Amino acid sequence: MTADPGETPAGPADARPVDLTLDAKVAAADVPPALVAQSFGQYLRAWLLQVRSGNSGVLPVVLAMVVVAVVFQIITPEHAFLRPSNLVYIFGLSTVYMVLAIAETVVLLLAELDLSVGAVALFGGVVAFKLVQQPGPDWPWWAAVLAALACCGVVGALQGTLVARLRIPAFVVTLGGFLLFSGIIIIVLGGADAFVNVSASVPNQRFIYYMVQGVIAPVASWVALAVVVGVAGAALWLRAAARRRQGLTVPPASLTAIRIALVALVGVAVVLICTVNRGSSLVKVEGVPWVIPIVLVVLGAWTVALQRTRFGRYIYAIGGNPEAARRAGVSLVAIRTWSFALCSATAGLGGILLGSFFYGEYSTNTADPGQLVLYAVAAAVIGGVSLFGGRGKAIHGVLGGLLIGGIAYGVSLLSLGTLATPLEYILPGGVLLAAVGVDVLSRRGTGGARV
Amino acid sequence: MTEGAGQTPAGTAGTGTVDLTLDAKVAAADVPPELLAQSLGQYIRAWWARVRGGNSGVLPVVLAIVVVAVSFQVANSKFLSAQNLVNLFEQSTVYMVLAMAEIFALLLGEIDLSVGLVMGLGSVVVAELVQPGRANWPWWAAIIVTLLLCAAWGAIQGALVAYLKMPSFIVTLGGLLILEGVGIIVLGGSLVGIGNSRFNNEVVLYDIFYGRFDPLVGWILLAVLVGAAATGLWLQDARKRRHGLETPPRSLTAMKIILIAAAGIALVAICNVNRAHFGTIEGVPYIVPIVLVVLAASTVLLQRTRFGRYVYAIGGNPEAARRAGVSLPVVRTWGFVLASLTSGIAGVLFASWQVSLTTNIIKAANSYVLLAVAAAVIGGTSLFGGRGKTIHGILGGLVIGGIYNGLYLLGVSSQWIDVVVAAVLLAAAIIDVLSRRGAPRQA
Repeated sequence: MTADPGETPAGPADARPVDLTLDAKVAAADVPPALVAQSFGQYLRAWLLQVRSGNSGVLPVVLAMVVVAVVFQIITPEHAFLRPSNLVYIFGLSTVYMVLAIAETVVLLLAELDLSVGAVALFGGVVAFKLVQQPGPDWPWWAAVLAALACCGVVGALQGTLVARLRIPAFVVTLGGFLLFSGIIIIVLGGADAFVNVSASVPNQRFIYYMVQGVIAPVASWVALAVVVGVAGAALWLRAAARRRQGLTVPPASLTAIRIALVALVGVAVVLICTVNRGSSLVKVEGVPWVIPIVLVVLGAWTVALQRTRFGRYIYAIGGNPEAARRAGVSLVAIRTWSFALCSATAGLGGILLGSFFYGEYSTNTADPGQLVLYAVAAAVIGGVSLFGGRGKAIHGVLGGLLIGGIAYGVSLLSLGTLATPLEYILPGGVLLAAVGVDVLSRRGTGGARV
Repeated sequence: MTEGAGQTPAGTAGTGTVDLTLDAKVAAADVPPELLAQSLGQYIRAWWARVRGGNSGVLPVVLAIVVVAVSFQVANSKFLSAQNLVNLFEQSTVYMVLAMAEIFALLLGEIDLSVGLVMGLGSVVVAELVQPGRANWPWWAAIIVTLLLCAAWGAIQGALVAYLKMPSFIVTLGGLLILEGVGIIVLGGSLVGIGNSRFNNEVVLYDIFYGRFDPLVGWILLAVLVGAAATGLWLQDARKRRHGLETPPRSLTAMKIILIAAAGIALVAICNVNRAHFGTIEGVPYIVPIVLVVLAASTVLLQRTRFGRYVYAIGGNPEAARRAGVSLPVVRTWGFVLASLTSGIAGVLFASWQVSLTTNIIKAANSYVLLAVAAAVIGGTSLFGGRGKTIHGILGGLVIGGIYNGLYLLGVSSQWIDVVVAAVLLAAAIIDVLSRRGAPRQA
């Protein structure tokens, strides 16, 4: 597949001058290496240059994940950390952080901040759970989920309006939103001791219960993987081919092939891990949990929205330089308001998933909204999203969330007794500081430091 | 005393022209009205021009306090009783001190999310250090070491922000997570209390929050304080006038002194009412002077020292401050040290207030951060740096404490209290932004 990395169909030029411009291009503007490189070797060099100049992308967080995995695998009793059952559990545990971090990323890209995502997420979860109660509203599950997301979206739109139209600092507006919804959750729930649950034995509620708890049968998992990889591979390949036909800049064919292979490899690994029996010999639990495709869909949707639509480009434009975006005709008010609305709606989905993760029960003790938001921001930043706007992708939120969930679960495996709880706070805090420290130091070279 | 309000010793000009320039001057630059006004009437006009120009200072929060007081008094006649007012002040002290801590960071245009957990850590450390059978330190040593520890933590965070140029939001977010863990470790998974009346050190710590002056001592202290403040103010004015400097009108100084005296008398009178159902509980609580000392010290530091001017300069425009020769890293680091030190003071008060500390209380300390920021913003401190005073923290803390107390009196459950605090915070922010629409500087 990768037999021919040095050759490209496009006309090759003299190696030296091309490489010089390449260096300058990559270092100066944030051009993705795929756009300038014309061979796999060049791509690697361009990518290294980008990393060295501070645009390290997902590299640090991936390295951190590897370190965390190796360390915990070594130090956990019976080297249990990387057992399939634990890996699947970590994904479920991390789901809420991943989804909230994606939501937070959207707002961070605008150089704003949303402190209310935790409270709004819990609000969305409670609303959805309340709407499928019987006796009670007994809405169909999809209507309940949509209604909850719509409620959250409206909340976000209101906060976004205050931020975008009145230019009240997002920090204050969403701090207010956080306090407001911390209270409203309990009111909707029906008191400090109340709880609401969905059960797998009620047909309509089953779908919500299964979002995190349900699994896709092993065979179906393999079939689904084959379909997904096939479609993704074909799409990637055909798009590159189409571009090449039109004479546009194209990533080298070898790169596309490697990408497809990587997607397939990761997919096979995930399905392999998930199809190991995680239950007992009597009660089998095997197959890919629904939550994995759900998170992938959220990730995919946000990736397309941010990287491939006009809306996404405007978000990056505003985050990079609002005044320039405004003069270019971008409606700051509309984009900002919509971003807050969509951020809150995404957070609402995270809240529903959180309830499903806790075996379909929601109480006032399910999660602390303040801690959720801090973890969400931490996950996004650890993943590589800039706090100053304009830099970051949805995938960063997913990786950061996974890292935080992995650390939290790894610590709990260590049977540290009284040290376990404190370490659940100290480690994410340390990782966050380290991540930002590395980020800041690596950007020293770029010259864009603040005063 | 206020006779001849319209007359000033300095030369006067035609009223029309003076007033026009006065308005323009006041509205354009943030000149305090007392520097320009030469009579009480002019002072009031200058002040009003400033309010209209968006520099409303403490006016909105004072109005908010009045609104809170009136509406809760209407809803429940116990709200303004002497007993409840003292209660309310006691409950607000932690918010007030934490808000003052946060203001040090906000003035620099930074934010400190760790103040709540620095307070939590401080409370655990001070309580652990006086435990007989373990550290068994004298109370004063425990307090000093606690404050130093908190200050050292602030120095670390400040250095990361100031020297490495890491965003303060992230540094203090990471800091609060670490502190949450450290606090639980220091607590040792168990409960620590200072409520044992057999040990003098614990009694002293307990009395910080619950102790009070004898009524007579309260009056004497008030007399001394008001006397000292009045002489100080008057002599300062007199000296300025002798040197031919701009001086606020005499009537204004006299009114200020009268206001201080009246507020002090009201405070002592309220505190000296017996507030016990059985027996007697009367007198000014120790925490009133403690909060006043923190307020006075931070006010002097920020308004009257070079360091304070540098803080405002950096908050207003860091690049300009740097070019004027201000060392940004040093001042920023000290700002964070002061924020954490003040949070440590809040921690000592918090330990005294809670009496016994548990893991859950440490975790709950986290939520105080947001209330501290809310108190500072409600009080009138800008989130963008360069605008605010520590008195704003006191007033904002009072609003939040008042809402908590009032709703609690009405039997409202805590979730509604969060909702109301949120509404007040949003209202404060909206009023602030709308009132600044008129101001010349607007992004």
